[in-house]
Amino acid sequence: MPLYLCNARAGAISADAKAAIADDITRIHCDITAAPPTFVHAFFFDEGPAPEIGDRTVVLHGNIRAGRTDAQKQDLIDQMCAAVSARTGISRKQIAMTTADVPASWVMEGGDILPEPGEEEAWLKAHEAKAAQARP
Amino acid sequence: MIPCMCFIQEGQMATGAQVSLRQKLDTFSRQAFNAPAQQTWIAVSKGNGFTEAKPSTSSLVSFQADAPLDQDRRKELLSEICDIWMAETGCSLNEIVASINDPAI
Repeated sequence: MPLYLCNARAGAISADAKAAIADDITRIHCDITAAPPTFVHAFFFDEGPAPEIGDRTVVLHGNIRAGRTDAQKQDLIDQMCAAVSARTGISRKQIAMTTADVPASWVMEGGDILPEPGEEEAWLKAHEAKAAQARP
Repeated sequence: MIPCMCFIQEGQMATGAQVSLRQKLDTFSRQAFNAPAQQTWIAVSKGNGFTEAKPSTSSLVSFQADAPLDQDRRKELLSEICDIWMAETGCSLNEIVASINDPAI
């Protein structure tokens, strides 16, 4: 978590563009939220089941940890939509994005409950120490 | 029925493992929530899944509980889901993301 889903009309985003957009999504999310990149998942679909495309060409949806400000969420939307437009040439008006807040305490990743926003560094240290201890 | 959504990476899981996993998740749901799991599986096509901007090997499984859970119980159930997933697929703990959402208000 976060999990970003990107659903697009078939052929609207090339394989190369998907890789570049995944890089953009990861960088933008980490720049805005200070989350570690290891948490960021970006999955792409060509006319997949979700999020609904409607009359757009590309629709993004981000399940993000609760606790981000409205301004941060708007920055995520503005910058990620701009990145998709820049990588694909698709008009910004044809790209939509939503986000949903998920409490960190509801999610387990790497065997540990996710940290609250701002507590990532301590979480990563503890997580890595635990993993090192578990190694034979 | 308890909604359950699973994202997997295409080609990462043998068909037999997926069948077994579906059964195990259903059993888990019946034991944890007293109701079967209404499972939706979505395979992310090759080249379409990224974690940390690199090709992803991550699976995500999300249940929606039928009643709010206290955190100790949620943690216990999440650990159980991860254990089931690892046992059936052979993936590592770092390749499974599990969540249990409280019901929508």
